Amino acid sequence: MGACMDMGKRGCDGMLQINHLYKSYGKFQAVSNLTLHIPKGDLFGFVGPNGAGKTTTIRMVCGLMLPNSGDIFINGIDAMAHQKEIKKQIGYVPDFFGVYDNLKVREYMDFYGSMYRMNSREIQRISDDLLELVNLSDKKEVFVDTLSRGMKQRLCVARALIHNPALLVLDEPNSGLDPRARVEMKELLQNLRSMGKTIVISSHILSELSEMCNSIGIMNHGSLVAAGRIEDVMEGVFGNNQLVITLDEGRETAIRIVNEYTKVEVDSVGEHEIKLSHNMTKTEIAQMVGAMIAGGVVVTGFHKQEGDLETLFMRVTGDGQ
Amino acid sequence: MYLSPIVKKDVKVQARSMKICWGVFAYELILALVFFLAMSIIQGESRYSTSNVYSAMVWLYPVLAVTQLIILGLVVPVRTASAISGEKERQTFDIMMTTGMSPFSVIMGKVMTAIVQGMFFVVASMPVMALSFIIGGMSWAYLFLFLGIAFLVSLFAASIGILCSSLCKKSISAVIMSYVFYLLFFLGTAVPLIIYWIVVANLEYSLGTVPQFVESYGANIYLFTLLNPAVYLAEFFAGIMAGRSVVSSMVSSMGTQNKGPIVLLTTGYWWLIFATILFVGVSFLFLWIASKRINPIKGQRRKGGRR
Repeated sequence: MGACMDMGKRGCDGMLQINHLYKSYGKFQAVSNLTLHIPKGDLFGFVGPNGAGKTTTIRMVCGLMLPNSGDIFINGIDAMAHQKEIKKQIGYVPDFFGVYDNLKVREYMDFYGSMYRMNSREIQRISDDLLELVNLSDKKEVFVDTLSRGMKQRLCVARALIHNPALLVLDEPNSGLDPRARVEMKELLQNLRSMGKTIVISSHILSELSEMCNSIGIMNHGSLVAAGRIEDVMEGVFGNNQLVITLDEGRETAIRIVNEYTKVEVDSVGEHEIKLSHNMTKTEIAQMVGAMIAGGVVVTGFHKQEGDLETLFMRVTGDGQ
Repeated sequence: MYLSPIVKKDVKVQARSMKICWGVFAYELILALVFFLAMSIIQGESRYSTSNVYSAMVWLYPVLAVTQLIILGLVVPVRTASAISGEKERQTFDIMMTTGMSPFSVIMGKVMTAIVQGMFFVVASMPVMALSFIIGGMSWAYLFLFLGIAFLVSLFAASIGILCSSLCKKSISAVIMSYVFYLLFFLGTAVPLIIYWIVVANLEYSLGTVPQFVESYGANIYLFTLLNPAVYLAEFFAGIMAGRSVVSSMVSSMGTQNKGPIVLLTTGYWWLIFATILFVGVSFLFLWIASKRINPIKGQRRKGGRR
């Protein structure tokens, strides 16, 4: 089950439930009537143009800002009413963050562990595991400010996990990272998801989000314009009725056969490719392709036309264009 | 024993920087200069009088103590003024506010760090201070009293600094604002007294006398100076060194028919006790306001209005 836009106000069994959230800065409406449900174990990508309200939403979820109205439930707990409890449920990685000079990696983890009132033995055990997870085991005695940006970002993820939160929230974690660091971050997040963590990540790098997230939410002008499993959102926006047939020989025959079917229209014809719009069943498609092969057309393949996240993003944030 | 992780981390981080070495060096250097100056004055005085140079060594106590309190009063607010705004400038503040620590614990952690570091300096000066106890023959209890006063001055100065840090976005603005607050306490609390003197002088000039009510209750104007650090320290050291009360002397000079709370406060140590309670109370008020200021979600919902 993926994220969805509309759920009941109460009774959420998911990890994050946001109901009718509003936030304004003076006259500027940063977030408007945002309703979102993210189930446990999802890796949810939060996308939208600059100023869409992603960071404001994330800050409200993390208790760094109060909404004007609306409700946020994290792991079933009302975030407005139980701030102290919510802090235990969330690990937050901000878009920009600094580190302390003259503090070693081990001490950095120790400091944040102590902030959650964990005892030193517990902190050492967990931070050892986390540093191994983020591939920084050999940097324990290194000063934090000497780490590369990618390493600092991974350390920040480890820091956010020190108290074993149920929900990990990352705001633009890949900004400013080189390609290798981005790949490492992607692998780390996928690892965490496989461990059962629920992760919310906002990013501008749509190709990466489409590779690692199983659900997305697209914000524009403070509102959520699309949300759910990536396939479902794609299908909702692009439709499920575009077919591409690739062939080597018999293009004219193929077009003739297609024209015999009333539920099909030819969108475009290339040298070795025909794009179709249709409203046929799977069986009818199979029959049509079978007829082509029987008619001597050398069909090398056929597949449903897939949309990509960039196209989807441009379409849903394109102000109706 | 629970020690705030902020204190542990900040003390460790700052101990690794060169700043702390230069800080101790400058502190000891100033004390050494003051010590030699005081010694030369004591020796010079003893040359022309019959007083014993050794018993005169007791005067090292107020001289060195006041010097240290002035340094603490100037340095501690700088440290706390940059505490919160520094976290914001370093972009570590948001992370700190999402951890399990309450805003008040964060504020207390920052204040305790500044106090602990201030007390490091004070303790480092103990050998020099001890001269007036060993040679001058002062009671050792005064040494502990000095430590208590140093703690109080550090707490008060730190609370002013942290309040300003929570009010300002930039550290430099917070430091400047802290010194403006100091001025308010040093000069602002004396303003009612000055106004009173001017009014009384005018009354005496125009009427030839002052009304009975002013005569009886006028001295209560000194209550404003309960929060004046200079009056507090003068009262403390005059009590120790001369066994007299500065405030009592000033109040008595206004007449012998005084009425109201000033009468009680100028008997025994009540002035010092009450002023100490007030300074601690004001410090905690500042800490509380600062903790409310840094709480990212406190009171914002009402401002925006519910839809």
